[in-house]
Amino acid sequence: MIDERREENTALYAFDLLEGQERTRFEADLDGDPRLRALAANFRNTAAFLAYTAPATPPPAELRARLLASVAPRAQTQTAAPAPAATVIRPDPSVFGRFAPWAVAAGLAVAATWLGQRYLSVQSEARILRDQQAMADVALKGLGQQLEAERIVMRRQLEELGKSSGSASAQLQEAKAAAAALSAQLAERDRLVADARAETGSLRGQLAKRDADLAQLSQRIVALTRDTALATRELNDARDRIARLLADMKSERDLANFKITMLASLVKDSPQANAVAVWDPAKQEGILQVEKLPALAANQDYQLWVVDPQYPIPVDAGVFTVDPASGAARFDFKARQPVAAVAAFAVSLERKGGVPKAEGPMMLLGK
Amino acid sequence: MVLSRFPHGLALAAASMAECATPPRAVRDMSPPAMSDPDPSEDREAVDTDLLQRIAQGDRDAFAQLYDRFSGPLYGTALRIVREPAEAQDVVHDAFITLWEKAATFESTRGSAFSWAITLVRNRAIDRVRMRRRRAELLADSAPDDLGLAAMSGPASGADAAISGDEARAVRAAVATLPAEQQKALELAFFGGLTQEEIARKLSEPLGTVKARIRRGLIKLRDALARSA
Repeated sequence: MIDERREENTALYAFDLLEGQERTRFEADLDGDPRLRALAANFRNTAAFLAYTAPATPPPAELRARLLASVAPRAQTQTAAPAPAATVIRPDPSVFGRFAPWAVAAGLAVAATWLGQRYLSVQSEARILRDQQAMADVALKGLGQQLEAERIVMRRQLEELGKSSGSASAQLQEAKAAAAALSAQLAERDRLVADARAETGSLRGQLAKRDADLAQLSQRIVALTRDTALATRELNDARDRIARLLADMKSERDLANFKITMLASLVKDSPQANAVAVWDPAKQEGILQVEKLPALAANQDYQLWVVDPQYPIPVDAGVFTVDPASGAARFDFKARQPVAAVAAFAVSLERKGGVPKAEGPMMLLGK
Repeated sequence: MVLSRFPHGLALAAASMAECATPPRAVRDMSPPAMSDPDPSEDREAVDTDLLQRIAQGDRDAFAQLYDRFSGPLYGTALRIVREPAEAQDVVHDAFITLWEKAATFESTRGSAFSWAITLVRNRAIDRVRMRRRRAELLADSAPDDLGLAAMSGPASGADAAISGDEARAVRAAVATLPAEQQKALELAFFGGLTQEEIARKLSEPLGTVKARIRRGLIKLRDALARSA
């Protein structure tokens, strides 16, 4: 994994910007990581393209010639040097007499060629040496200038040192005076520190007493809080009891206003049929509890009527059914019109859904 | 196509990225002709490597060919760093002599032949600049405010008119896609002959910022070159 930091070092390495230990460490890292080596090669190749952003000035032709001349000797020593040895003519005794002059001439020609090549080679070597000497001269000149410069700098530094030593003793005196003033200040500080310490001690004592008072107060507050909680609970209990008493009193008072009426049977076949009606005039509603009424046919309902003298006909109070087996029912009812005073309750047998004015036989009546 | 005229083409950068980054896949997908043809950049890189191998055996013709392929950008780089034609020639001369002598030690896994040659040139040029600067510091007893880098303002410089060649144009176009501060950081890193700290001082930025700019700029340049390939 090549993280950002290593990638950064690789980029710097591609520009030869890593130096010293940083470079040594990076190269060790490089040795052990093929991926990092690949990245370094990639970055170097990329960086190399920046060469094309330099102004495109072609090098002088002379440089090419000089270079090729410089490298010629090695190429020639490797390829051309054996040539003279290979072309040495071995005299053949049988044809020597006939071809001797030709052989001598050929030998001379070969020797001349070889010498010519040697001459060229030595000449280019001499040129290289001259180049090297010129470069050495330049370097020497540079070194001379550098030495001169260093001599100037040293001399300047010596002068500076001479100047600075004179002022040193004056500075020493000043420093001594400053040191004396500082020690006096220090003594004053010590005294102040001692005073401050004493004051701190007395303050600490006061603080301890305050802490103790505070602890006592806290305990009392805790006790008071506990008492307050108890008292609040008792108060709430008492309030609940009062509320219950008031509710009881109210219900008793309401009960006194209720109209309770017993209804008796008007039917010969069911003389046991009876009912109790309880009427709450405040709420204009009531409860009818019936027993032993005859079972109803499917198209029939019992209808309750409230007789109020202010109306010419009884007020409709709704229809109800009874349990077919026991003839019992509990019926919570409301009158269709406001009832001022109840003179009587009556139950009639009507068709299903009831009627606005009683039509069927009267079953129960209570005054 | 620009690529085909590159002596050590952009697609090389793209191809060598295959192990380190995703763009090359996309690059290949976007350029169908490159899929059907053999990759010319690999050919060029192979040619450069082959020339170096022949040079290692003392082949002077191979040396001449390599000089013709590399000398333009190498001399341009040297001249921009040392700013003295005579010194730039010495630098290039010295670098090529090293190529001739050390060709056998070249390892293609460490980078392309071109990047090796560029490294040789930059190291020599920077050594000279630093030596010169040290001398100047000793004489003036203070560092110069400007090392002449202001004149190297890149694409806007007057030398632009003299620039020809599709490769230079393609690389410059890729560089132009970078934010100005990244361009400046890469320019100083490549041509400035400065240390990391000196670059930071020159740009009046914290060292960490400069390092990050160099990293991001290089990655962005790589991606831009891959796109142009």
